[in-house]
Amino acid sequence: MNPRLAHLLVRLYPRPWRERYGVEFKALLQTVRGGLRPSANVVWSALCERIVPTPGLKIEQRQFQSWCVRWPWAMFGLAPLFLLAGAWVVALLILWSGWRLFLPGADTPFVPIYDMREFFYFNLGRSLYFGAPILVGWGIGLIAIRNRCKAFWPTVGLVLIALMGGTAQVQASRTTVPRGLGHISMDFTLGHSVQDTSHGLLHAVVILSLTVLPWVIWRLQRALSLST
Amino acid sequence: MRSTRNVVKTEEGAGLVHYSDPPLLVLASLANGPKHGHAMIEDIMRLCGTRLGPGTLYGAIARLEQQGWIKPLPPEERRRPYRITAEGVRVLRARLATLRQFTKAGLERLEAL
Repeated sequence: MNPRLAHLLVRLYPRPWRERYGVEFKALLQTVRGGLRPSANVVWSALCERIVPTPGLKIEQRQFQSWCVRWPWAMFGLAPLFLLAGAWVVALLILWSGWRLFLPGADTPFVPIYDMREFFYFNLGRSLYFGAPILVGWGIGLIAIRNRCKAFWPTVGLVLIALMGGTAQVQASRTTVPRGLGHISMDFTLGHSVQDTSHGLLHAVVILSLTVLPWVIWRLQRALSLST
Repeated sequence: MRSTRNVVKTEEGAGLVHYSDPPLLVLASLANGPKHGHAMIEDIMRLCGTRLGPGTLYGAIARLEQQGWIKPLPPEERRRPYRITAEGVRVLRARLATLRQFTKAGLERLEAL
């Protein structure tokens, strides 16, 4: 294998693993014939090592792991909520500044946009707004798997994140602030009608499904590998 | 244990069933003397026709070392050989005995067909 490719592949592993096995593993990779299959094997193994590190090689994570054990309610319940709130604040700031910069005459920022620059800017805000619950949920799952935490608090965190994501609604208007800058805010309700409530709950279920999907795939892969 | 799905099978063995339990294969390979990674891959290939991928091999080595079933020896240039420990020998013996029992029972059932 090409030494440069071998170097890059070794870099995929976590630092404690690299410090212990990096030199000899790189030497092995350079003797391996073929490129694609061994490379795919190394990429997959590095990913597994990042998700479930070899016990005893988690030097850098001891402090973090102890937090997960001592304050699981804070790590999996409160922290993700604050993180999600922070991501939404950033998303709303992007939408609000885009509204001021690119659509000064519009009553709402949610209008069709054709300019490429404006399209990119608004979609950055929208992607952050819609993607934040899923990204935070994946973060919860990853931390829980890496630290081998019990399922209760991570599940509570995932459900809370999904409910927040499902019930959040962006309100934008210029009319409430006459000749003002316009107003963007978020509202968390399950709706004023049965249809709105069911729509919010369905949205929450979709977010929850997407956040637990990687964990389900990981468990299936693990079950398959043990049965092979 | 580490995934056993990332095992690269040989072309000449295609279609045959390969045994793929990387930790056990590594222990079995080290049972007749210390070896470094490349030598282990070749030895396992000769032993049962299974070619372990490099990531799979080192995943197994890392876990076996942390369990104290193999020990690293001083490096030879950049390659580091490993040897099996007494505890590793005990585990290997126990697992092979279980496998022998399982194989015997399975073959007896097949003969009865």
